[in-house]
Amino acid sequence: MSAGPVRPASPVTATIAVVAAALVSVPILALLAGLAHPATDTWARLWDTILPEALLNTVLLGVGVGVVTCALGTSLAILVVFYDFPGRRVLEWALVLPLAVPGYVLTFVVLRQWDGSGALPSVARDIFGGEAIRSLPGAILVLSLVLYPYVYLLARSSLAGQSRSELEVAQSLGLSRGKAILRVAVPASRPAIIAGVALAVMEALADFGTVNLLRVPTLTEAVYRTWYGEFDRRGGTQLASLLFLFAILLLAGERFGRGNRRFDQSLRRGTETSRPRLRGMAALPAIALPVTLLMLVVVGPGAQLVVWAAQTFADEGVSRYAEPAVASLILAGVAATFACVVGTVVAYAVRTRPTRAMRIAARIAGSGYALPGAVVGVAVIGVYEWTDDRLLDLGRSLGSEPQLVFTGTALGLILAYLVRFLSVALNASEAHMQRIPSRLDEAAESLGVTGVRALVRVHLPLLQPGIAAAFLLVFVDVLKELPITALLRPFGWDTLAIGVWQATSDARYDAAAVPALAIVLVGIVPVILLTRLGRDRGRS
Amino acid sequence: MTNRVMRWTGVGVVVVALFAGLGWMAFGRGSDGPVVNVYSARSHYGTEEVFSRFTEETGIRVEILGGEPAALVDRIAAEGERTTADVLISTDAGFLWRATELNLLAPVASPVLERQVPVNLRDPENRWFAISRRARTVMRSTARVPEAQAPTTYAALGDPRWKGRLCLRTSNNIYNQSLVASLLAERGESAVREMLTRWMANSPTIRGSDAEVLQAIAQGTCDVGLTNTYYLGNALRDDPSFPVAPVWVEQVGSGTHVNVSGVALTKYAHHRPEAVKLMEYLLTPEAQGLIAEGNSEYPVREGVAEAEWIAAWGRFRADRAPLVNAGRFQARAVRLMNAVGWK
Repeated sequence: MSAGPVRPASPVTATIAVVAAALVSVPILALLAGLAHPATDTWARLWDTILPEALLNTVLLGVGVGVVTCALGTSLAILVVFYDFPGRRVLEWALVLPLAVPGYVLTFVVLRQWDGSGALPSVARDIFGGEAIRSLPGAILVLSLVLYPYVYLLARSSLAGQSRSELEVAQSLGLSRGKAILRVAVPASRPAIIAGVALAVMEALADFGTVNLLRVPTLTEAVYRTWYGEFDRRGGTQLASLLFLFAILLLAGERFGRGNRRFDQSLRRGTETSRPRLRGMAALPAIALPVTLLMLVVVGPGAQLVVWAAQTFADEGVSRYAEPAVASLILAGVAATFACVVGTVVAYAVRTRPTRAMRIAARIAGSGYALPGAVVGVAVIGVYEWTDDRLLDLGRSLGSEPQLVFTGTALGLILAYLVRFLSVALNASEAHMQRIPSRLDEAAESLGVTGVRALVRVHLPLLQPGIAAAFLLVFVDVLKELPITALLRPFGWDTLAIGVWQATSDARYDAAAVPALAIVLVGIVPVILLTRLGRDRGRS
Repeated sequence: MTNRVMRWTGVGVVVVALFAGLGWMAFGRGSDGPVVNVYSARSHYGTEEVFSRFTEETGIRVEILGGEPAALVDRIAAEGERTTADVLISTDAGFLWRATELNLLAPVASPVLERQVPVNLRDPENRWFAISRRARTVMRSTARVPEAQAPTTYAALGDPRWKGRLCLRTSNNIYNQSLVASLLAERGESAVREMLTRWMANSPTIRGSDAEVLQAIAQGTCDVGLTNTYYLGNALRDDPSFPVAPVWVEQVGSGTHVNVSGVALTKYAHHRPEAVKLMEYLLTPEAQGLIAEGNSEYPVREGVAEAEWIAAWGRFRADRAPLVNAGRFQARAVRLMNAVGWK
């Protein structure tokens, strides 16, 4: 294992990386700059009232979601990568599906069931108490059930991409297969697992919909309360910068957990034959856990949504959701493409030119994820406003009257998605890039292949599964995204998530079912495509 | 190798298709004819029949962009002179006040609007007008709370006999904030603080939405609550036996708190005549009937009936204090709610 810089990158990659990182960082830095003029009275007042509880809840929520998603995501990934059992091929991709279920959608379905008259909910209410679901543990549970796929997806592609030879060596030295996996394979995939956990926790910290419905006042809730309620945008965004602090801590923790080591490996891939088949009693828990999980998160709520949707179908038909579905697909696809390109280039630049400035730029560019969407939206719109005003001045001095370039345009919307979701692609790329041995870079360089050419010809083929996972994560994230879309979209760009919001904000859950189902269905498309891609590669 | 080439070709085709779609969505969909652009916070925007009827009658297309009220106001501010918004429609008076504070709205001199909208339901300088009224009052379980025993004032929810029997919505909700703000304006800080403290002493069960509060009353989690009446109206439209009824509070005092959904012309509207036409249309008897029926709200215009499924609630005395109070006192209301521990 080697550490430290490999060799200087070509100036082209470094420049692209710095420009991209700077672009994404501007709104976040603008937000932080606001801290230079602290809203002292807001802070003092909130500290005396809601802030201590909000902070405590935020920390506990983060820790809880981190622990649960780590355990769930990693164990499921181990299961499908290292063992074979009836139904594995279906479960392998089906376990990603909860990702397509927006947290707020699962929450309202769960609440309807919990408060309903069914036998199971009333037993649960008797055991745990009528309010048990509306609590911090309830929020941790609901959020973990939709967020564990971040860990599962990254861990799975990392575990599957590992060479099997170390595992075989460990077993030949007398370790049982289970122990060999835990002691050899899992530690080698630690960067990917931790990257997934970091994403899940950041997403949980930024959540408003679920914690609001389950009545867990967190920092994000306090931001909404202060900004929307007190019309105190400055105080609200300053509160939100505490979330930025959490993100930085989390990312620092991620670096620490990853260690300074590079997880260089031989690149020989595992073969399908190395999977022992579980049979009989041993197969039972292997099937029961994922199936129960999917029943809880996808099948059960899905069935409920279908029942509700059927009523809406009869009332108003589906044609009004055709255009939102197209808008969702295009926005998610374009944003995910950008995020993957920028994320890979930045990760590559950090790898080849790990200067302190480059690292810091990458960290800031990747921290937008922990900020609530509404806060990113407001930070971004402030920057757009300023930029468009300058462009107007410029245009007028040249004798023309320019249109708005960023504010309320599709371009502005996609850039804003990038600010919030770049970290998803960046984390995934970096985690996978770390596994590529530096001797490959050296070999390429000795053959005169450097910079962009080295990235395209040497790293990209190896990064493919990681980039595919990143694309999927960003795609689904954009599909579910609400506050930024609501704030920045142009006329005619109503997405499916907007359709869900329309209905749920007035508690018309039945009407929300059609767009909610559509989000899940549209989200499944890339899941299946990417799984197929992965399989083809495995065979070739 | 061919496999790899095919895969990259596939990726390339998808990416090209995505960007082509983006370009088409952004630039290729232009349509001609008169248009009015509306930023609307009403959640069922676009599905409301009143807008399609307007287009049928006038030939003016209505483009609607929905969102949270605070976000829409921020966006109009950011877009400045080049805003695409001609009309702003809000779900409560607080944000309309906020928009006037930020100087985003233009006064409208329209005899029609001035005649149809009572003075307390519009901006003193005619920069916004109510299009529907939304009463927020006490709700009771018809099974467990006889009408004679129900609370008759907001303060009565603090009576110890409702301990453990009261349901409230979260205090981050605008309707609760507007109610407390209006009461602050009328009664002063200490009276309202005492009222809220007594509510909190009753250990209220907190729910995330008005609909959940009604559901909790219907299911027996609590016996009384506080919601906007149209949520109950919509529940009764679906299920006439829904076991909850409103109690008109403050009938011997200042009257039940009434907020509004309102409409305003933006300062830099680019389709001003069309916008004013839409605003005036929203106050016609036909439009008022559609708005009232669609969401079980109360019309603003005299002589228009409310939906038949809420007619049995009877007439009530509404608080006639000017609604600008809801905006002016909102920040103080939120601070007070935070301070008394209303989650």
